[in-house]
Amino acid sequence: MLQPTARVAIINNVKDSEITDQQMSEEVKQTTYWKSLKELANNKEYQKFAEREFPENATELTDGVSRRGFLRVMGASVALAGLAACRRPVQKILPYSKQPEDVVPGVPLYYATAMPVQGNLVGLIAENHEGRPTKLEGNDLHPASKGGTSIFNQAAILGLYDPDRSRSPLNNGNKATKEDFAEFAASHFANTGQRVAFISEANSSPTYNSLKEQVRSRFSNSTWVTYEPFGEDNIIEGNRIAFGNRLRTHYNYTNADVIVSLNDDFMASTHPNSVEYAKQVSARRKVTDTNGEMNRIYAVEDAFTLTGSYADHRLRLKASEIEAFTYALAAALSTRINGLSAFNGYSNQFSDHKWITVLADELTSNAGSSALSVGSQYKPEVQAAVAAINQALGNAGSTVNYLEVPHFDDQNNHQALSDAVAEMKAGNIDTVVMVGVNPVHTAPADLDFENALTNVETVVNLSDYVDETAKKTTWHVNRAHFLEAWGDGYSYGGARSVIQPQIQPLHNGLSEVEFLNTIVNGELTSGYDLVQNTFKGYYSSGFDTRWTNILHDGIDTTDSYSAANVRIASGFASAMNQATSNVSTTSGMEVVIRPDATLYDGRFANLGWLQELPDPMTKITWDNVALMSPATAEKLGVSEQTAGKDITDVVEITLNGKSLKIAAWIQPGHADDSITLTTGYGRERIGRVANSYMDYTAGGVDVYPLRGTDTMFYASADVSNTGDTYEIACVQDHHSLEGRDMYRQASISEYKENPDFASFESVHTYPVPGMAEAKENGDTDGPISLFDEQTYPDYEPQWGMAIDLNSCFGCGVCVIACQSENNIPVIGKKEVKRGREMHWIRNDRYYVGDDADSPQAVHQPVPCMHCELAPCEQVCPVAATTHSEDGMNQMTYNRCIGTRYCANNCPYKVRRFNFFNYPKEYLTTGDDPDIIQMAMNPEVTVRFRGVMEKCTYCVQRVNRAKIEAKKETGSPKPADGTVKTACQQACPADAIYFGDLTDDNSEVARMKRNERNFQMLEELNTRPRTSYMAKLTNPNPALA
Amino acid sequence: MAQIFPKWTNQVPRKILIGLIVLLNAIIFGVWYFFSPEYTDVGYAPEQPVPYSHKLHVDQLGLDCQYCHTSVFDSKQANIPATQTCMNCHNQIQTDSEKLELVRESWQSGKAIEWVRVHNLADYAYFNHSAHVNVGVGCESCHGRIDKMEVVYQTEPLSMGWCLDCHREPEKYIRPVDEVTTMGYQVENQLEIGKELVDKKNIHAPTYCQGCHY
Repeated sequence: MLQPTARVAIINNVKDSEITDQQMSEEVKQTTYWKSLKELANNKEYQKFAEREFPENATELTDGVSRRGFLRVMGASVALAGLAACRRPVQKILPYSKQPEDVVPGVPLYYATAMPVQGNLVGLIAENHEGRPTKLEGNDLHPASKGGTSIFNQAAILGLYDPDRSRSPLNNGNKATKEDFAEFAASHFANTGQRVAFISEANSSPTYNSLKEQVRSRFSNSTWVTYEPFGEDNIIEGNRIAFGNRLRTHYNYTNADVIVSLNDDFMASTHPNSVEYAKQVSARRKVTDTNGEMNRIYAVEDAFTLTGSYADHRLRLKASEIEAFTYALAAALSTRINGLSAFNGYSNQFSDHKWITVLADELTSNAGSSALSVGSQYKPEVQAAVAAINQALGNAGSTVNYLEVPHFDDQNNHQALSDAVAEMKAGNIDTVVMVGVNPVHTAPADLDFENALTNVETVVNLSDYVDETAKKTTWHVNRAHFLEAWGDGYSYGGARSVIQPQIQPLHNGLSEVEFLNTIVNGELTSGYDLVQNTFKGYYSSGFDTRWTNILHDGIDTTDSYSAANVRIASGFASAMNQATSNVSTTSGMEVVIRPDATLYDGRFANLGWLQELPDPMTKITWDNVALMSPATAEKLGVSEQTAGKDITDVVEITLNGKSLKIAAWIQPGHADDSITLTTGYGRERIGRVANSYMDYTAGGVDVYPLRGTDTMFYASADVSNTGDTYEIACVQDHHSLEGRDMYRQASISEYKENPDFASFESVHTYPVPGMAEAKENGDTDGPISLFDEQTYPDYEPQWGMAIDLNSCFGCGVCVIACQSENNIPVIGKKEVKRGREMHWIRNDRYYVGDDADSPQAVHQPVPCMHCELAPCEQVCPVAATTHSEDGMNQMTYNRCIGTRYCANNCPYKVRRFNFFNYPKEYLTTGDDPDIIQMAMNPEVTVRFRGVMEKCTYCVQRVNRAKIEAKKETGSPKPADGTVKTACQQACPADAIYFGDLTDDNSEVARMKRNERNFQMLEELNTRPRTSYMAKLTNPNPALA
Repeated sequence: MAQIFPKWTNQVPRKILIGLIVLLNAIIFGVWYFFSPEYTDVGYAPEQPVPYSHKLHVDQLGLDCQYCHTSVFDSKQANIPATQTCMNCHNQIQTDSEKLELVRESWQSGKAIEWVRVHNLADYAYFNHSAHVNVGVGCESCHGRIDKMEVVYQTEPLSMGWCLDCHREPEKYIRPVDEVTTMGYQVENQLEIGKELVDKKNIHAPTYCQGCHY
């Protein structure tokens, strides 16, 4: 097989003869990095594709169909005011009538707030421009954020301004007002004897939960179900089996030297506490010198997840096999430690597995400083076994806490939902009230929720969109976004916060506390009063000061969930005996249903940013697919995708008598005989972005019909190749570096032996060409160059960036944060397919090694390198891209004439071109384009058609900091840490460092002095200001 | 046989040529002059909803610019004052002036007075007031003698070349920070004082693109 490694070394001023054949042949010992199976195969077809800047025909304008399709995503275009006069159109300035205190026009204000997902709050800071929130950042003081965010937190701002949100309450589909609803609620719910079923999303709000108690006492015949399609019911039930109490499992990975994940993707945004976990895990992998130590991560999983790609060791198993694997591990541990007697003598097919011995040894020798977790979708017995193992190892209280969560229901909510639906079908329910949930779409298919609703006289719901459920209601109430209404709640780990609104409700919606209060008390009360009343109850004195402090800090430190002192419950052993004697694995083909990495359970389906964010592992946009291993694909006769045209076979999956057709996708590293499906796609009439148009835009397939009460996670299924094909927009082969030397890694022991492993010379066995000659001439800046080296004045700061590949785990939040900060448009599937995606920072995912069945995977964010000797600058005919005095490669939009020479000449492929007037399409569409325009950052130009753009190192933030520093200190050099780029600020793993290189003590300067620091394509002598720090792994010699 | 073309036609090509040259020059000159901000923008004096006279308030009453434009030292914008600022005085004096009808209305309704923007930069140029006034660029350097204006009009072209005039040679225009709002500031040895101020204030006005365009 050909090695797509560094074969080409075209270097300024270096004669070909200087690179000897020996050097060339030695390069072959390098590791193989590949983005796709096509690249691994490296056939002629792939080479032809990769050589092109854009895929074939990408620059043709003869695309009437796609243009129409594009407009359909974005809605109808509205013409802007034309050239009515020579002078620019008259603009109005509208000052305040009464200026609010603290508001200085032009200076944004920052307020603490928090975002609930699945009821768990993540503390955020909202940037607010004269009453208009435009950007969300993590709150440093909040334990679930510590400054970091997830993709869902970043995209929430688009959710606020989504023009497709429900605009008003609907009474049987007719527009109404919230006063109408209040009137209805007052009369309808006056009958407190009626049989009401409440189905609510998870909500940790103390205000909400006290209203819930009022509901229970007021409506004596009511039932309350908390339903989350991917909730934590199994974990809670598992802890009840293990410890006798319904508890939440909360890890503290800061104390964990060894982490074992049994199909638990705890670092991905889909995990309710991903930001805190990612911070903790990555912090334990920060190695600054050769004395550094790292934690060790093991992952056992079916699909390739982010956690799996970050792990030091990864084992592929079918999802159904992990239950048996867990029990085998418990049995192996029972011979080593006390407290697992329930598993004494147990054995199964995995008992002799090499990993069982290795994991048991590792966990035992790190007892008290190890953490074992299992995916939340596994049944309670598996959760109980894992909890017992952690307890036996002495991890409880150290790496894992079992939290007493006051608002947990005393019931198994899966069962409660089934029971409630059965009652509905039997006609025993008069009214159903649904808060935030969308069970018509997400409830187990065999419950036939939609049908059950028809037996209920009055159906009331509160939701963001007129979704599948809202369409079936008597009364639908439009929900206020969390940035529009007061709220409160707890983080996953139990930190209490107040959700502070940033703007008046755009569509006059109700928050969930206001909604529930209306139902209980029959009147509209403002959320502010409701939340304040709750907090007034907490403090006997000094309320005003405390309240102000809570709002300011975004966290109330006086309360938190308490960790339970756990002991194995008496019934545990018998429960385990029963469970271990009934272990079954699926035979034949298995289908696994997971929440989607970018759309989750479907609640984020109408957010274009998330639809267009490439899946962190597959790099697919706008669609969901059936993921399978190469071997499974061969078995099913699914052929490999064609280079450049991601046309793939469609498979038919039949489960429980239901079947669906979905595009197949070969995922290296996936477990064999297993197919992974993700939820959230295939929506109908939800919004312009979410809607499924299989012909040309996007949308994917709804997989919920396959998900039944007994098949919530995995099940055997029949899978066949239909012979049809479907085209996917996958960006993994776009902007390819064609296997040149771009990624470096070593194990930590190799690093300690050879700290310079990441240097050009160690990798290539010869020094950087031209460096010796330059040194002879007395030039220490870099290799000799044909170009004039720019000199930088010393009064200016010199900006640089370092990206620690050892921290990056590929979540993609940098991409969304950049999109939000820099007004980057969404362009739609057809355009992405043509390689026109506009993201300024791309997250390359490389598979490593020659084994396509079980490769390693690594992630590398690639923004503009801001080369000091930038190739793009040399070829611009109009000097639209030039160098600034503070060392940035600047892109001047108003000068650009769109020749695209710069993009052709960029070896890193980071330049993006506006083939169409994308922003205009999406900023002037719909009934009131003003709303979506409010999401734009006023500090950044919105680019026009025919203009090149790229990462600017967030120059608007840099310039603002320089001006402030100049005003305060007289020098335009801001103190270290003052300027954070959007990607850096959002990163939950703190992988990105940015700052002034002239300051020797700045964090970025220190990182650049680290031995692990390397430049991408250093041999080209572009002298990039962005550099990388090589990845380290911490493998266990026993598994080597 | 008669000539098809009479003799005068010999002159036609020459005349066309001369005419074309003249026309071309006229077009070039026309675009160069009439399309420049200096022609299109300077002197722009739109009618404002409230006939506020800077001349009266600044020249005769002696209000400082910062009494109303409070954020100029702190923000990129020198704010247009809130109605509240007008009402500070006008709830006492001229309380029934017809000209102030809109101001009182705005004060009562809470709705904004819709002022017409006079100085309008292109959207891709980011100008920051605080960065300029804090190092000693006077208000009048860009806005002219506001104290002499009944109706505010644009006195400078606000074109890029005009900006660069000062960015390249700030010493010609710079003044001490406490003179920023002074109208009619003039010193004889401007160059000398200017150079001193540039050194003292560590002024290096950016002339690279990203200083203003991003």
